[in-house]
Amino acid sequence: MIEYKIASVDSIIVYFADHISRDNVDLVQSNYIHIKNLKHEGLIDIIPSYTSILFHYDLRIFDFKSIVAFLQEHIALDRRMDKEEGRLIEIPIYYDESVGFDLAHVAKEANLSIQEVIAIHSSCEYLVYSIGFLPGFAYLGEVDKRIATPRLTSPRSKIPRGSLGIADNQSAIYPVQSPGGWNIVGRTYQDMFDKKIDGFSYLNVGDRVKFLPIDKDEFLKNGGVI
Amino acid sequence: MSCFKVIEGGLLSLIQDNGRFGLCHKGLTQSGSMDEYAYRVANNLLGNPHNTNCIEITLGGLKLECDDACTISVCGANAKFTINNQTADIWRTHNLHQGDILEFKFATSGVRVYLCVKGGFNIPQELGSCATTIKEGIGGLNGKSLQKGDIINFFPHAIQKEHRLHKADFIPQYTQNLKLRVILGYQDGYFDPDEVEKFFSQTYTISSENNRMGYKLKSDPIHCKIDGIISEGISFGAIQIPKDGQPIILLKDRQTIGGYPKIGSVLPIDCFKLAQMRMGNHVTFEPISIDLAQEKMKLFYESLGY
Repeated sequence: MIEYKIASVDSIIVYFADHISRDNVDLVQSNYIHIKNLKHEGLIDIIPSYTSILFHYDLRIFDFKSIVAFLQEHIALDRRMDKEEGRLIEIPIYYDESVGFDLAHVAKEANLSIQEVIAIHSSCEYLVYSIGFLPGFAYLGEVDKRIATPRLTSPRSKIPRGSLGIADNQSAIYPVQSPGGWNIVGRTYQDMFDKKIDGFSYLNVGDRVKFLPIDKDEFLKNGGVI
Repeated sequence: MSCFKVIEGGLLSLIQDNGRFGLCHKGLTQSGSMDEYAYRVANNLLGNPHNTNCIEITLGGLKLECDDACTISVCGANAKFTINNQTADIWRTHNLHQGDILEFKFATSGVRVYLCVKGGFNIPQELGSCATTIKEGIGGLNGKSLQKGDIINFFPHAIQKEHRLHKADFIPQYTQNLKLRVILGYQDGYFDPDEVEKFFSQTYTISSENNRMGYKLKSDPIHCKIDGIISEGISFGAIQIPKDGQPIILLKDRQTIGGYPKIGSVLPIDCFKLAQMRMGNHVTFEPISIDLAQEKMKLFYESLGY
């Protein structure tokens, strides 16, 4: 069910599926990488997400009809990347109420202790589904059903850099200070977005992530700020 | 030294260019000049290449001292512009001498003024562009707006002997009412025909929430049949309809992906005009076909020699 839809005068969105799943992210990523590697001069920006890819194209090279024809030629529903798994990246997290403002809230909603929430959150392996919202902001799935907690009813105006949040079945780290409505459960000292990092973003779509609980000393020793 | 010294930074003065492309998949916004018409005309008057950087002055307040002879051009909003306290015209070039003081007073109509210098400002590109994005701390001078004491270098050049001015017929009038042409697409099927008709028939007021990221409008709410969508890429000019039914038109500093339904997108040429409007001004919408919209955009860029 691939759908090609007008997104704007010079962009088109291609839908691959209607729900989020690892299979669908894999399908989107396979096609994204394939088309990106063509390095076609008429493609200005390519933004993959969970179930879609947005292509911003150059009107001097494509019109709507020709971009559809071009994409139809290169997009395939059976295109799958070689099953080479993404990098496994461990991110140290200081899970504590002093930096995890919503740990108690998440625990209460889940009817669990704070320690149980931390144990569950840090035992899962997450997949980077998408990057957006802020530079280096990686959407990670999926959070264990037992601790999946809806967004706060009223977002905070300032969430500190490095904060780790939960929103429903997704988790993410705020690369810079920002407003936001996710439930904050901990903080990392790791830079998630830095112009000095190769590729700028510490995480890339397809990477696998595990959170490693650390204590206050280790957090502070490595430059963490409370 | 060939530079400008910032005496007053003004409300929001930013180094901009065409924008930063090819990094949306890392979450980096496109950024760039909000009103590409005034920006491109300003560069054309100096014979500068298309992606030459500029200073985008929002509403006014910028005061500079010039430290070397140079040729500049100023285009955009009607802000009183003075050189050594003498009123100077905009939409034209000016030659400056060492020690000249430039000042931009508060704009009476329009919002953004573009100041370009022959050969461009000598500012290194960051991730492929000079465009300043404050929320990302990237581009321009350390990712920030111009501040008192900043030094903005430019390349020494022979001054342009003949003055060039933009043809009077082509100088835009920044009105308080604007018709925005809309390309339907995206999730327009999630809006009942009645709601689409309402969208195209009512007049919207620009709210106080308007900035480089987007303009939020106010009128009778438009209802969408669905609550939200799976987050997906967002285009320049996209019209998001959040739950409160008040449209948001997304502009240069928009987030790269988002999850609100979109009824369509505004033709970029009209977004450039919208970027010169302010709170309390009014806009209406009318549909345009994709074929005509693409033709209009190509003509726009061709007419500016792009």
